[in-house]
Amino acid sequence: DSHTQYERVGADVTMKCGSMDWDAAVTWMANGTDIDESHLNGSYLILKNVGLSQSGQYFCYEGSSWHRKYQTSLVVGTPPKEPVLMCRSNNYPKGFYCSWHLPTPTYIPNFFNISVVHGTREMVCEKDALPKNRCHIRYIQLFSTVKYKVTLTVTNALGKNSTTLTFDEFAIVKPDPPENVVAKPVPNNPRRLEVSWQNPSSWPDPESFPLKFFLRYRPLILDQWQHVELSDGTSHTITDAYAGKEYIIQVAAKDNDIGTWSDWSVAVHATPWTEEPKHLTTEAQITETTSTSTSSFMPPPTTKICDKGAVVGSGAVAVCWTAGLVLAAYGVLFI
Amino acid sequence: MAAADSPSPGLRRRDLCSRGIRLAGKMRSDVVDLLDTYVEWQGLDASASVAAVEGVPVAAVERWDEQTGTQRLLENLAAYRTFRALLAQMLEEQQEQLGEADTALGRALASVLLQVSAFTYHLEELLQLESRGTPSEEVDVPVPPSQLGLFERKLRGLGVLRELAQWAVRSARDLRQLAKPSPGSSSAPGPDESP
Repeated sequence: DSHTQYERVGADVTMKCGSMDWDAAVTWMANGTDIDESHLNGSYLILKNVGLSQSGQYFCYEGSSWHRKYQTSLVVGTPPKEPVLMCRSNNYPKGFYCSWHLPTPTYIPNFFNISVVHGTREMVCEKDALPKNRCHIRYIQLFSTVKYKVTLTVTNALGKNSTTLTFDEFAIVKPDPPENVVAKPVPNNPRRLEVSWQNPSSWPDPESFPLKFFLRYRPLILDQWQHVELSDGTSHTITDAYAGKEYIIQVAAKDNDIGTWSDWSVAVHATPWTEEPKHLTTEAQITETTSTSTSSFMPPPTTKICDKGAVVGSGAVAVCWTAGLVLAAYGVLFI
Repeated sequence: MAAADSPSPGLRRRDLCSRGIRLAGKMRSDVVDLLDTYVEWQGLDASASVAAVEGVPVAAVERWDEQTGTQRLLENLAAYRTFRALLAQMLEEQQEQLGEADTALGRALASVLLQVSAFTYHLEELLQLESRGTPSEEVDVPVPPSQLGLFERKLRGLGVLRELAQWAVRSARDLRQLAKPSPGSSSAPGPDESP
């Protein structure tokens, strides 16, 4: 005779050895180990304040013959707490889905039953194969003021619990984030970044149900985001980027008229275009090195012999080099 | 070939649709604000459940995506003509309650009534363009029974405004469907237009 016995964590459990009398001589074993006699009351096995670790197979053997008289699978768990239920339409106007989970595990099998009522009409929520704990409903009516009432009941061997959500058609509309966000520098524009993205593929009809977008961006070195709301189009040019700084950019979407904003898209990084550093000749490299070493002598501010940034051609570089030598000579005199 | 100063029917339709969409958007936003004002003025609970009110056009529709352009326009027109009469009734009741006093609620009601009238006219233009003609203006607005108490009338007003807010959203969607160039629609683009 094999049984499964579900008991609550913390309960006191008494197991009888099948039909054996109380005063029969028996041996109890659990998971291959003899159970100490201190846990026995006659032939009854007493487990006080059971914990999860006491789940397992329990066997009872008749004392002399070692015939197995009783076998049970003890499963220790908890009754379900109030489940967490969420409903959302990411594919408006086709329908919506509801998904649920338990806030804490019960350690024993749970069964979920969901009912959806719209006014007086009972609707069928079709279970999804994956993910589990999710079902979807096709809208029969649109633009209704009548609320939907979704009740989820969870039952296991130790108890049951339920939760109810009431909402209207518009309130649960929340698109998925925009897809394929791309950010690129704009050639010859050190303060611009071109951002483009696509409507989420789950949104079935962006032409009749257009989305609006929210773009946020910031340089990695700062915490403050800049925000831009865009009522149409799937691209935008940032024109106030800090030159040379790497940016992080994200986009969110919302139906133009109803519902709430999507989560932020996957973040993309981009750095605005910067001018390529000039490639100097060997003579110029030596000249530059010399000028740099004399700069520690700090020529007076008015004596702007050469501006490094203004060095363009080899002629100007030669002038700088000469001036540097003169300054070096003065420097030596005053050491 | 169309005269230079008169746009082709297809372009006119698209133009009317986009203006109508903007009108519907503004109307919805103002109705939502009016709802807040109404609830506050009438001392109602914003989440109060209101049963379907007799004579108020219900925005809820089945198989919305299967409707033809003409169906959409006719249903919208019938609805907004009724709302025009209902809002006028509400404004009158409001004035009866508070006399000639200029109230925020009165002004908001009047503004929405104006927008509903404008939108109705817009729909009539669109229907004319569809060459369907405009149905005769017979609106059957049930006069609230005199035994309706003040509270019941307030709830009725709440129902009217809530349904109008839904209609404003539906109308924008309807006009976007209408604006789509579709060979199967009741009004396909003319030969001199590209979709």
